[in-house]
Formats: sequence, C-alpha cells, structure tokens
Amino acid sequence: MNKDILLGFLHFILIAAFQVFVLNGMHFVGYINPLIYVWFILMLPTNTPKWAVLMLSFSMGFVVDMFSGYIGLHCAVLTFIGFIRPIFINVFFSGKEIESNLRPSIAEMGLSNFLPYLAILVFIHHFFYFTFEIFSFVEIFRTLLRIVLSSISTILIILLFDFIFFKQKK
Amino acid sequence: MRNLIRFLKRYYYIFLFILLEGLAIYIISQNSYYQGSVITAFANETVGNVSNHTQNISHYFTLGSSNESLVRENAMLRSRIESSYVKYQHRAFQYNDTIYKQQYEYIDAKVIQKTINKRNNYFILNKGTLHGVKKNMGVISPDGIVGVIINVSQNFSLVMSVLHQDSRPNIKNARTKISGTLVWDGVDYSKGKLIDIPSSIPLKVGDTIITSGFSQDFPEGIKVGKITTFDKDKGTGFYVVDIKFSVDYNKLEYVYIVKNFFKEEQEKLTKDIKNE
Repeated sequence: MNKDILLGFLHFILIAAFQVFVLNGMHFVGYINPLIYVWFILMLPTNTPKWAVLMLSFSMGFVVDMFSGYIGLHCAVLTFIGFIRPIFINVFFSGKEIESNLRPSIAEMGLSNFLPYLAILVFIHHFFYFTFEIFSFVEIFRTLLRIVLSSISTILIILLFDFIFFKQKK
Repeated sequence: MRNLIRFLKRYYYIFLFILLEGLAIYIISQNSYYQGSVITAFANETVGNVSNHTQNISHYFTLGSSNESLVRENAMLRSRIESSYVKYQHRAFQYNDTIYKQQYEYIDAKVIQKTINKRNNYFILNKGTLHGVKKNMGVISPDGIVGVIINVSQNFSLVMSVLHQDSRPNIKNARTKISGTLVWDGVDYSKGKLIDIPSSIPLKVGDTIITSGFSQDFPEGIKVGKITTFDKDKGTGFYVVDIKFSVDYNKLEYVYIVKNFFKEEQEKLTKDIKNE
C-alpha cells in the first residue's frame, strides 16, 4: 500500500511536469495540443477509493492550471473525469479484477480492452475541455477538429508511454 | 436519523464531486478577464519561481536569435531616439525650453512561461508591481505587438497575448491610414486576421500594418504585420484580410511593457462624458 502511494506521487509529479514543461510548449499544425495529464487519473489502481480519485483529479487539474494562465478549467474538467471513472471501471473490469487492485494498462488489460477505455475517457475529457476553453459556437467545426486531433495525439502518446513503462509481466 | 446517515454514506461521493466541481467553477468565474484574484496572484508567484528555473535552461537554446533581435532593436533606437516623445506646446509662446514631454516609458521584461498552441494563449513575464507594472498596460517586443497585461502579482505579470479570442487591438494600415481591428482565428501562431476595414479603399498585398494609437495601451506605429491576402466580403462591405505577424511568438523572449503617462488623464476625460 505504501509503495503504491509513493509510486502514485512519483507519477503525479512526472506526468504534471511532462505536461507543463514539454507538451504545453509544443506546437504542431496549430490544432494539436496533447493533454496527457488525464492518464494519471485513468491509471490509478481499480481499488482506489472514490473520494481519493476525486481529490487527486482536483489537485492534478489545479497544478496544471497554475501553469497555464487560465485557472480552474483543467480542474473542473478533470474532476468530472474522476467522477465518471468508476462507471467505466465497472464496465471494463470484472468484480474480481477490481478487488485485486489492477492498474489499468496494456499489460493488465490487453490492448483490445485498454484502448476503448482510454479512448472514450480521453475523448470525453477533450470534448469538455475544448468546448469550455473556446466557448463559442461560431468556431464549432474548428473546435471539433481540435477535439478529434488532440484526442488522437493524446491517446497515441499515452499508449506509447504505457507500452514503454508498464511492459513488465507476461 | 439512521436513514440520513446511510443516505450520506451512500452518496457522499456525489456530494464531494459537486463540492469540488463547484469550487473549480467558482475559481473560473473569479479569474475572468476583468478581475484578478488572490488565487491567480498566488499562482503567478509560485509558478513564476518554478518557470524562472526552467527558463534559465531553455534560455541558452535561443541565445543567438535573441541577441540578434536586441542588436537590431538597439540600432533602431539609435536612429529615432525621439519617437517616444510627443510634442508639447500648449502655449502660444514658450517660456521654457522643453518642447517635448515624455509620454511613454518602457519596462523591459523577460517571458518566462508561454503557450502558443492553445486557442487562448497567455504569457508570464518576470516583472510585477514592484517594478511598476499595472493592469491593462500594453506589451510589445522589438519586432512588434505582443499583448496586454491582465493580471499582476508582486514579481510577475500575466499577459493576454494577441493569440487570444478576446484580444482586439486597434490597428491601421501604414500607407492608407485606414484603421481596423486585429483578431486571431486560433490556427496558426504566425498569421492573424483584420476585420472592420471598409472595402471602399483599395489595399495592396504587402502593406504594413501598425498599431493605431487610438487605444491607450500601445503607442502609435508599433509593427503588427504585413498583408498576405485579402478579399471583399460582399455581405458586409468590409475586407477579410490575412496578415503575417512581424513577431515570431514561438521565439519570443524579451519584451517591453508600455507605461503611458497620459493614460489616466485620457481615461478621465472619457469617463467624465459617460457620467454626464
């Protein structure tokens, strides 16, 4: 248990730092803005208490917010993701698996299960994030394009990292 | 009572969610563009300190190009040293020999944190209230317009760049003197759009666009960019103009914050009219 907390803390710092210092400075075609900090919430072990997930979502959002000028946006959207995560955990894991405290990843779930779990939640996150950031119906097609391209880039980056860092077992 | 406790136990999770979400939305509403908040000031301070360290590292990669731009700027300043002064002759005769009174002062600053890939982009500068920075001051770079200060803490300040959907600086065509508004469509950080330019006056590709000086944030004549394409919008009678920014916001490092000595006086003047 202690090891889990320590590891989680390390993930928190590494992911937030990568998001803030590397990805936020990246620019590519103008539409693509990967937001991989969602990954931190998605990969929390299945047995993590719900209140802890919510608190962690809020703090992760707040940290990323502080570095991006407009405070509150990442926070609100990520808290929502933390709120709906248990629903998806129940869909993608059996009761036994939830009890045994799995970490959602390719190694534990297999790509065919992990990809839909990841893709749906990332897409929901990006949908709300960009809708609220831009908050205008005039640019609706451009916003949609932004949502789709950024979601795809985020999913690819997370899959890549997951593959590199959590490959052990099997 | 027991039922109530059971109810709370079962749904505490939803209450916690509503509480946190409400807090987040409250924070958003507090730091909208108009009012600053304690939280942003705090965030500016802490983030500013962290960013200072990372900036010190990435600084070295752009050393060459920033040197070049500073040298260029020095040469430019040498050639027109009186440009930040306005002529000041309010009497028919002069009883002292000051004909120029300073209107603008520039505070140099360094960009320590920025984004250019979002729809709305903000920069953080390493100067704050301690150095005389105030809200709504304009920010320019050696190459042209940058943005407007929207929040200040003790040592740092937050700039709403022109790469933002709420940014609407007033500009004019340097050749024809016709003024319009600069907006950004959120796609390419090197291209902007001009609106409100009447299509009755002909334009040319390559016309230089400069700030108009109508708003009190920027002095007149700060470079904005060059026209690349334009088109008449039949419905409205205005041009749709694409320009290329003269500033490369990706490489932006040193900027100047514009302090206008006459701003309060000008604002007071318009305020008096509104009150009547």
